[in-house]
Amino acid sequence: MTAAENPCEQAAARPPQDGVSLLELRGICKRYGPVEALRSLDFQINQREVIGLLGDNGAGKSTLIKMMSGVVAPDSGTILANGMEVQLNSRRDSERLGIETIYQDTALVDSMSVIRNVFMGREITGWLGFMNHRKMREITEDVLRSAVQIGGIDDPHKTVGELSGGQKQAVAIARAVYFKRLILLLDEPTSALAVRATESLLAYIRQLKEEGVSSVLVTHNLYHAYQVCDRFVVMSHGTKVLDCPKEQTSLEALTEAVIMN
Amino acid sequence: MDVTMIARISLFMHRYRESAIDILFLFLLVQLGAIIYSLIEPDTFRYIDSRNITVTLKAISVLGVMSMGVGILMIAGEFDLSVGASYTLTGIFMARQVESGMSVYLAAPLAILAGVLIGLINGTITIRFGVPSFITTLGAMLFWEGMTLFYHGAKSMRFRPEQSFVDLMSGQIWVIPASFIWFVGVTLACWALLHHHKLGNHFYAVGGNKRAATAIGINPNRTKLIAFGLAGASAALAGILAATRVGAIQPGQGSGLELQAIAACVIGGVALNGGRGSILGVFLGAALIYTIQDILLLARAPGFYLDIFVGLLIVGAAIFNQMIRRQQRAES
Repeated sequence: MTAAENPCEQAAARPPQDGVSLLELRGICKRYGPVEALRSLDFQINQREVIGLLGDNGAGKSTLIKMMSGVVAPDSGTILANGMEVQLNSRRDSERLGIETIYQDTALVDSMSVIRNVFMGREITGWLGFMNHRKMREITEDVLRSAVQIGGIDDPHKTVGELSGGQKQAVAIARAVYFKRLILLLDEPTSALAVRATESLLAYIRQLKEEGVSSVLVTHNLYHAYQVCDRFVVMSHGTKVLDCPKEQTSLEALTEAVIMN
Repeated sequence: MDVTMIARISLFMHRYRESAIDILFLFLLVQLGAIIYSLIEPDTFRYIDSRNITVTLKAISVLGVMSMGVGILMIAGEFDLSVGASYTLTGIFMARQVESGMSVYLAAPLAILAGVLIGLINGTITIRFGVPSFITTLGAMLFWEGMTLFYHGAKSMRFRPEQSFVDLMSGQIWVIPASFIWFVGVTLACWALLHHHKLGNHFYAVGGNKRAATAIGINPNRTKLIAFGLAGASAALAGILAATRVGAIQPGQGSGLELQAIAACVIGGVALNGGRGSILGVFLGAALIYTIQDILLLARAPGFYLDIFVGLLIVGAAIFNQMIRRQQRAES
């Protein structure tokens, strides 16, 4: 299949339309053996929206994130991007749609430098595929300095193995920021961060929204979610038990929804 | 030396750790010692003698070229124990083609192609069936050693190509043998590939953390397959250099060379579990093994001394690397 024939490519090429979700999942089911991870789930991400994806352990949040990243395929159900039906069979497919995932166990290589990690798999190259080290270094320094003010990474030549958990997270976020994604999927991004770093990350999610990037924030910390999210989706045992905008709910109501289900 | 000076040196060493600065120091130290001793004892220890230099450089080249491919493959997280066998087999294959009338300028590229093919077979089996490459290539080593005897027998194979090819592969400019120029050329090509090409970045990524590389969209199987092919190609080129230098190929000559190549890589700082290492390190690792051999020969030490030294060096290098990494982890 050539790139032009790929539905993801076509969907990404479509101009965003009013009233149509960036990404929409309809009636998604997924089983792992006897375990029903997702049961006819509906989920959509709209333009310029920060969604808090909440729920207890085993509710199916991570499976849903993996599915939208193209790592896990649904057993049944449809996925629409810009209103067009697509299949997310690989990371490449989700990348085409502008989806970037930041994992709990950040997908970084410890033995490589910060610069090489940021550009891993998407190196800036010139003649015959040789890397433009200078440009990659400048961009890395710039992104780390201006966009993600987390954890003081003084030297982008440092290997990621030398960084703290929060700094690693910052590198992963820098990567997502630089590659101008449309949708950011953040799976427990604050679990390894210090308080101040968490604050700046949450502020950054808001700022990205102003720039037109939608985010899905998976977290156990309802307080964080309530701070930044426009809409809340609470999951339990593979289905959606609550889906409402911030105006129609409160921190207490959300807490109850997560605990009671 | 005051404290800031020590701190500065340690920071420098730390930062350039991946570019094999420590092995460079060791290498220069050994060179310096040998040169000083040869100046003190010019009659008995002829280290800075043009003939000695030429012979050593020739010896370094064959192992060095092979170590380049082996090193890149190790950085990508895999092994090849069959490079010694493939080195012999592709050499004999080339010599037989030349004997039967084929131009060596066609036979030599064919031999390299055969090397690549052997590498790709190793890689395909390793990836397709999820067998550790240590096992795949251990089997391949025995298989191709046996196939060499089946194809050619145990006798020595004459290699007498046209003179222009001999000049090209094992001529000499001043004290520098052509084979060493080839080695330097291969080193520069590998350096450009590994440290400056995006494919090199993928080798490090796949060897360092295969899951992360896959998550970010790098195809680990394709990347590893290319590395296996390169290891095969470098083995075949080493075979061509050796065959041209000696003018003949012994069917058993390659056995043990694969371990020397891995030793050169480990001494040069390549991690056994992948993701770490540098081309300069591999270059110096190979050079160091033969420098020590040369020093021992000049000192008229019995042959087994080399094994003792190389053995100590491998374990010493591995301990040193481990200590550095532990220190890095402790700091973070």
